[in-house]
Amino acid sequence: MSPERIDLPQGTLDLLILQTLSLGPQHGWAISERVQQISSDVLRIQQGSLYPALHRLERRGWIKAKWGTSDNNRRAKYYELTRSGRKQLEAETESWHKLAAAVAQVLESA
Amino acid sequence: MWNDLRYRLRALFRRSAVESELNDELRFHFDHEVEKLRQAGLPEAEARRRARLAFGGHEQISEDCREARGTSFIEDTLQDLRYALRQLWANPTFTIVITLTLALSIGANSAIFSVIDGVLIKRLPYPEPDRLVRIFLSNSAYPKFPLNPFDFHDFRSRSQSLESLAAFMRRDVQLSGPGEAERLNAFAITSGYFHTLGLVPQLGREFDTKAEIPGNGLQVILSDRLWRTRFNAAPDIIGRKITLNAQPFTVVGVMPPGTAHPGNDYHAVAYGEDVDAWSPFTFDGDPSQRGSHYIEGLARLKKNVTLEQARPEMNALMAQLGREHPNDQGWQVLVIPLDREIVGSSRQLLLVLLGAVALVLLIACANAANLLLARASTRQREIAVRLALGASRARVVRQLLTESLLVAFIGGALSLALALIGVKALVSLLPATFPRAHDIHVSAPVFAFTLLVSALTGILFGLAPALQASRTDPKQGLHKGGRATTGSGQQSRLRNALVVSEVGLACVLLIAAGLMLRSLLNLLHLDPGFRQEHVLTANLFLPHAEYKDDAAIRHFSEQLIAGLKSLPGAEVAGFGSDLPWTGYNENTSFNIEGKQPPPHQDFHARFHGASPDYFRALGTPLLSGRFFTDGDRKDAPKVLVINQALAEQYWPGENAVGKRITFEDNPKEKDWITIVGIVANVKDQPNSPGAEAAFWWPALQIPFPDISLVIRSNTDSPLLADAMRNQVSRLDPALAVADLQSMSQIVAGSVATPRFAFVLVGLFGGLAILLAAIGTYGVISYSVAQRTPEFGLRMALGAQRFDLLSLVLTQAAKLVLSGTVIGILLALLLARALKSLIYNVSPADPATFTAIGFAVIAIAILACYIPARKATRADPMVALRAE
Repeated sequence: MSPERIDLPQGTLDLLILQTLSLGPQHGWAISERVQQISSDVLRIQQGSLYPALHRLERRGWIKAKWGTSDNNRRAKYYELTRSGRKQLEAETESWHKLAAAVAQVLESA
Repeated sequence: MWNDLRYRLRALFRRSAVESELNDELRFHFDHEVEKLRQAGLPEAEARRRARLAFGGHEQISEDCREARGTSFIEDTLQDLRYALRQLWANPTFTIVITLTLALSIGANSAIFSVIDGVLIKRLPYPEPDRLVRIFLSNSAYPKFPLNPFDFHDFRSRSQSLESLAAFMRRDVQLSGPGEAERLNAFAITSGYFHTLGLVPQLGREFDTKAEIPGNGLQVILSDRLWRTRFNAAPDIIGRKITLNAQPFTVVGVMPPGTAHPGNDYHAVAYGEDVDAWSPFTFDGDPSQRGSHYIEGLARLKKNVTLEQARPEMNALMAQLGREHPNDQGWQVLVIPLDREIVGSSRQLLLVLLGAVALVLLIACANAANLLLARASTRQREIAVRLALGASRARVVRQLLTESLLVAFIGGALSLALALIGVKALVSLLPATFPRAHDIHVSAPVFAFTLLVSALTGILFGLAPALQASRTDPKQGLHKGGRATTGSGQQSRLRNALVVSEVGLACVLLIAAGLMLRSLLNLLHLDPGFRQEHVLTANLFLPHAEYKDDAAIRHFSEQLIAGLKSLPGAEVAGFGSDLPWTGYNENTSFNIEGKQPPPHQDFHARFHGASPDYFRALGTPLLSGRFFTDGDRKDAPKVLVINQALAEQYWPGENAVGKRITFEDNPKEKDWITIVGIVANVKDQPNSPGAEAAFWWPALQIPFPDISLVIRSNTDSPLLADAMRNQVSRLDPALAVADLQSMSQIVAGSVATPRFAFVLVGLFGGLAILLAAIGTYGVISYSVAQRTPEFGLRMALGAQRFDLLSLVLTQAAKLVLSGTVIGILLALLLARALKSLIYNVSPADPATFTAIGFAVIAIAILACYIPARKATRADPMVALRAE
């Protein structure tokens, strides 16, 4: 049986997508697989939120899309991080760590 | 930001490409998911089923992606627009009626706004026009008076709050030399006149202060028009001598095209490019004499100096001058912004016109709303279906508003075409003296205004019907199969309210038109103090260089009197210093034998000159005594003719004939002048409150160089004008005959503004009552159609046709009467705005209110009669079967 799954808080999905893409261009399916794998199946992205999120990030100019060929020779849409996306990732990672540390501190002190 | 916009634009304009990409992408994802599940050992069919479950709704994802792309609002709107277009296309009569109504009324608003934009809003064509002001003096006898030149001189050297100060006065010149002699609109100006306005000559320079020294005045600056038409745009014109008033003037400058005259009060030339030449104003005379006032002040305030700061300073200066010169006591200084001075009383007229067209637009909106309400009841089923299928009320309102906005914008686009034509017509209707007529165009602000008004209109007439329609109960709407009866109580209340307000507003407009018509008729029918028919007039000016003294002018005047008598076709001909209703305003003070003026006041009156037949030619009646005769010449006893106003002012209850006045402070016996005749009053303008006290000198005793010819004939033949021209040119070929016009033309020009106001308000009033009649007709016929079964039933139960007719007409009369009463009350409130525009009519004139009230009731009831007749034709059988 797979471990218990957690619903993603608002905004975190963007962070995960950006982090995944920082390793290199990927198509949508690969992004969701990668997140699932790395998180040992704890985090799972629904397609219903993945694609709207990708479109939103593209509109903001943090990622850009390109059509390419996948491993099994099919046309696939690849997303890659832009320079402003990379900056955004750094900023969001930092604020995530701060938030996590702060929350942890509060929880431990209680 | 830029990326965002580019992205959204691509999503919008390459919509199908973006959508198919998304499809491919989702397909790709789905296939991978299936593949993964299959590799985990599931059979193909099961793998697909699970993948599909995990995937969720394909459509839902597409929709969410669209949302994420940020274009769903626009895409919904496009969809609504397509739907709205189909709806309009399917109901051509409805569409045509509603768009034409709106186009007409929005177009009227755009046209009037064009005039307002050009006249009231657009800045004057001078740099920083907000700092330009006009300067006048004011006291109890003369509320707005020109300046004395030496007072002006002192203002100029002492004022701190003005950046520059200049003065000007009308002084036409006669251009002769090669080509026909021509009278030019010209002004005498001080140095710094153009500098104050912020204008720079295109050639040469403007006058310096040296030109103001007596004897240095033979210089001239030409307008671009004159330079091009009379001097072939010669580049070497500067320094050349041209002949003006029979003297050589040196050209020192040429102004660029677009040099607008800022307008003036005395011997007015309208604002605009109407001036052809400027010559220097020279400060002749004795600087200690401050009694004569004849130049107009124009100034530019220093940066950051306000009117409120400039006024006290100027008044303090005037008080200082009053201590230095006794003549300068008792004056206040008026500092008036130039734009307000130019626009003058036209502002009130334009605002009233804007109010009138706005009312027309409101009526059109009410009509459109009524049409939409009527249609909404037939669309109840469609809306019920949408609501039942889960559309939110907001979404339905939005869809319906999209329709009304679309109609409004189509109407707005059509209205611009109408406005383009309308503005041309308006400008051609404008009185000749209307300020800034050249500045009126359909320009960018007019487009913006039309867009805004269209949008507001669409919301105004669309919102109430849309809200009402969205309140449809889906169950009931579907249940009855679309028979429009539900919610009709509330709906008919709304429809009735709309009709009542339409009738009321139309009533207001028609009352305004009625008041203006009465005012115009008053002006046309008042006794002007002269007879305008078959009277030809023209102006001459005898230049000082050729007519150096009284003897020369008198000699010319005698010859002119003899020459005019021999004109073929002329019954009687004379000349005076001026003509009625042309803005003449020259005044003097005098002493009266045996009377003392009240302290700090003097006896004063307007002065004119007249030849023996001047009054006869004008048709001005003699009330007492005699006219001038050929015997009233140089060495005969000095005589005057006065008007009734002067007689009543200074000799109330006495006969003024035989009384004596003088212009000397210590008169000898020979200085006394005897009044020999009293003539009827002629007012300054037809709508002036009363006539000014005035007197006339005999032309041969006190000769004057400004001559206005008056010739009464039995025809309006143009040959007379030619004969008169020949007569003048036989006397002196260098004289220009200017302002050739009939007295009827002068009269028409004087009532042009009230006529213009009436024609427009009348036009809008007519449009308003037409719209209101259509609206009333629509509501009554709709209600008749709905009540046909009821009428059938009533007939079956024995009601007569007449009973039904009166039933419907009573219903209509209730609406029309309440509308009319509301309209009359509203008009009583609003008509006060017309006060300054109407002459000799009370803004609450009972006759107008009563007549218009009855007319509105009659027209509206007539409009209801047609549908009411239909009611009487209800077939009892049909009605009973339907129930």
